[in-house]
Amino acid sequence: MLFNSLDYFIFLPLVFLTYWVLFKNKLTSQNLFLLFASYFFYGLWDWRFLFLILGSTLVDFIAGNKIYTTEKVNIKKIWLGVSILFNLGLLGFFKYYNFFIDSWVDLMELSGYTVNNTYTLQLILPVGISFYTFQTMSYSLDIYYGRLKPTTNLIDFATFVGFFPQLVAGPIERASNLLSQITNSRIFNYEQCKQGLKLILWGLFKKIVVADSIAPIVDDIFANYGDYSASTLLMGVTLFSFQVYGDFSGYSDIAIGTAKLFGIELMSNFKFPNFSRNVAEYWQRWHISLSTWFRHYLYIPLGGSRVSKLKSVRNICIIFLVSGFWHGANWTFIVWGGIHALFYIPVFLMGRNRIYMDTVVAENSWLPSLKEVAQIVFTFTLITFSRVFFRSESITDAYLYLKQICTHFSWEAYSHPQGYRMIDYLILLSIFTVYEFSIRRDERSPFKFKSKIVRFLLYSIIILAMLLFYDDQVDRSFIYFQF
Amino acid sequence: MKKLFLNLIIYGFLILIMLELLVRVFHLGKDTPTRYVDQYNVEKWMPNQNGFAVTGNRRQNFSEYNINQSGYNSYREFNPTYDKKEIALVGDSFIEGFHQNYYNSIGKKIENLLEDVEVYEYGYAGYDMADQLHLVHAYKDQFDKIDHVIFGIKFSNDLTRGEYSILSERLALESPLNKALKKSKLLVYAKSIGLLDPPKLFIAKLKNTIFNSQNRKGSKKSPSNKTNTEQEYLNNFKQLVATYGYDKQRFVLLLNSKETSNIFLKYLDQNGFKYIDFYKRFQASPRPKNLIYDRHWNNYGRTLIAKEIVSHLRTY
Repeated sequence: MLFNSLDYFIFLPLVFLTYWVLFKNKLTSQNLFLLFASYFFYGLWDWRFLFLILGSTLVDFIAGNKIYTTEKVNIKKIWLGVSILFNLGLLGFFKYYNFFIDSWVDLMELSGYTVNNTYTLQLILPVGISFYTFQTMSYSLDIYYGRLKPTTNLIDFATFVGFFPQLVAGPIERASNLLSQITNSRIFNYEQCKQGLKLILWGLFKKIVVADSIAPIVDDIFANYGDYSASTLLMGVTLFSFQVYGDFSGYSDIAIGTAKLFGIELMSNFKFPNFSRNVAEYWQRWHISLSTWFRHYLYIPLGGSRVSKLKSVRNICIIFLVSGFWHGANWTFIVWGGIHALFYIPVFLMGRNRIYMDTVVAENSWLPSLKEVAQIVFTFTLITFSRVFFRSESITDAYLYLKQICTHFSWEAYSHPQGYRMIDYLILLSIFTVYEFSIRRDERSPFKFKSKIVRFLLYSIIILAMLLFYDDQVDRSFIYFQF
Repeated sequence: MKKLFLNLIIYGFLILIMLELLVRVFHLGKDTPTRYVDQYNVEKWMPNQNGFAVTGNRRQNFSEYNINQSGYNSYREFNPTYDKKEIALVGDSFIEGFHQNYYNSIGKKIENLLEDVEVYEYGYAGYDMADQLHLVHAYKDQFDKIDHVIFGIKFSNDLTRGEYSILSERLALESPLNKALKKSKLLVYAKSIGLLDPPKLFIAKLKNTIFNSQNRKGSKKSPSNKTNTEQEYLNNFKQLVATYGYDKQRFVLLLNSKETSNIFLKYLDQNGFKYIDFYKRFQASPRPKNLIYDRHWNNYGRTLIAKEIVSHLRTY
């Protein structure tokens, strides 16, 4: 069930009303109902994959309790190993098995051996597997490191793993935030619900208007890059930057907004990354839940930045390569991660990786300084360049795309595949960028205007924009579902 | 909770009003003329109406139409006489041409290419061969005075019945409920951009589930089925011709041979039915012939059609 489908707009009010009317002040019933609703939500994709979630839930529930109750460090390690092996095993099998086989076959052929590839399997990637396996693993890891006490209530834990707003594409929550909210009673909060609805509206706008409307253009340019000039190819990858941002941050906003309707606060996943002043700031603002996951459970255990410079650089490379690989079983993602490591390392070596942690661009003014504009444009250009690898089907495609930019350096007007006016998109993205800049201080309040009339006008304009850019032919699924 | 729902209802209502206003101000929704059935049982548009046809979410195609006294979209009135030279174009929405300004219709293009000729466009969305031949039969006095009558025909759509009858589904669009709903430009706009398709689909699915009716899956036609259907359509054509009459000297069919059954084409050739085939002319031109936002001919496509018709008429 997609957030931007009619099914969801029937499902959500029904679940909301049942949750607050029938099960008001009954925590166990509320959690049980949320669990049921979540499994229903997920089961509509493919009910068979519910067994994977159930498996992951049971393994980590048991492992968590065993790690906590046992005194012996070796036993703790064994149970942690069980949790990690099970979850990474699921991921490895469903997501990476064919990739490893194909890569092995390619390697053998490069070495001069002919291998008859009969080992690959027809596997369907279960939606959201990369997200919930990481979430459950974080639970066992937190207990192992003594940061968390396990829950003894399986329903609560299963609800934490399967909570439908963030089940399929995050934010990847840590148990210390989400599980503690699930185990505590929740009361209806009007302001929280209002904020939730606003975030849902803003998320839908980003998905329908920004991401989906430019998707056909991006698809066309990346599918036929050999036919286009540099100007079109540069436009294509720039638009893809907006598309992937609108798509994923839109999803996250809807997820956070939906959770608010049930009295639950999820962590922020995006904080206007397009206004980052360097790559390090970008990674503090883009897919925050994944970045923090890797920081907590990989970068810091490896020594983080508290080791020698050389080892720190090694750690940065590891974290970015793993992060790239997390996105998909394709060399393009690994290269994408590698490119980001290359972008990040100079910033780190210059000691500028933490300077923008607590500030936003144009902190005390309406407009950014010229220096900030240059920084933003430079960072956005770097990130956009890396997206060629993120979007291309293969390394060869990415290379040829970039080669085409260099060898066909001319300006040619681009015609939309469906013949739409390109100027519409230019105006749309300009307004969107300016508006996002105006709300850059608070990602949770997209409509923070005192005047009710202004807010009302904004809601109307946003809904009108959704109608103006609604495309019933476009594939409405979210990009990050494939990860 | 009550406060939330109350506010949602109030905001929702006000936003709907605001959207209705914006859709009207920017003229995003199309105008829909009123249809009726005249004294000869012919379904057509109510005479003397004006409005604008809109296609695309962002009004990418916007054109004015004008329904004349005869109930068809045209810049001129239809007054055929034996003295003048007249051509009648009879057909569906492609001939009707709401998608282009009525002063730039196929008929007008033909008039520009031929001297001293009046072209009457009897186009009406959804007209099939039964509608067309019934119209000519019902208005025999008028059509007898017209020198050439050209029928637009699409084999797969227009020969599904062998006898004319008023189509209640089409007239249901004029029901009081539909008329009332059409008053909301927002609703008309939402429908035209496909926003109402998911709810319709959902309701259909729900009905299917509740009444446990079988899913009708679109199956591919087997060769024998296809031949049977083509034969059935041909029989329908024969029946229509027998019922309403067909003047082989003055009447001519306008078709795309690529989309027409060989059985039908063979029958036309063997029995002296003239036809204008625009396939080759369309095929020869690399430029798009259809509108971007729907399947109807664009200005260029219409020009090609007009040229094809003129080229045919010049040979007679």
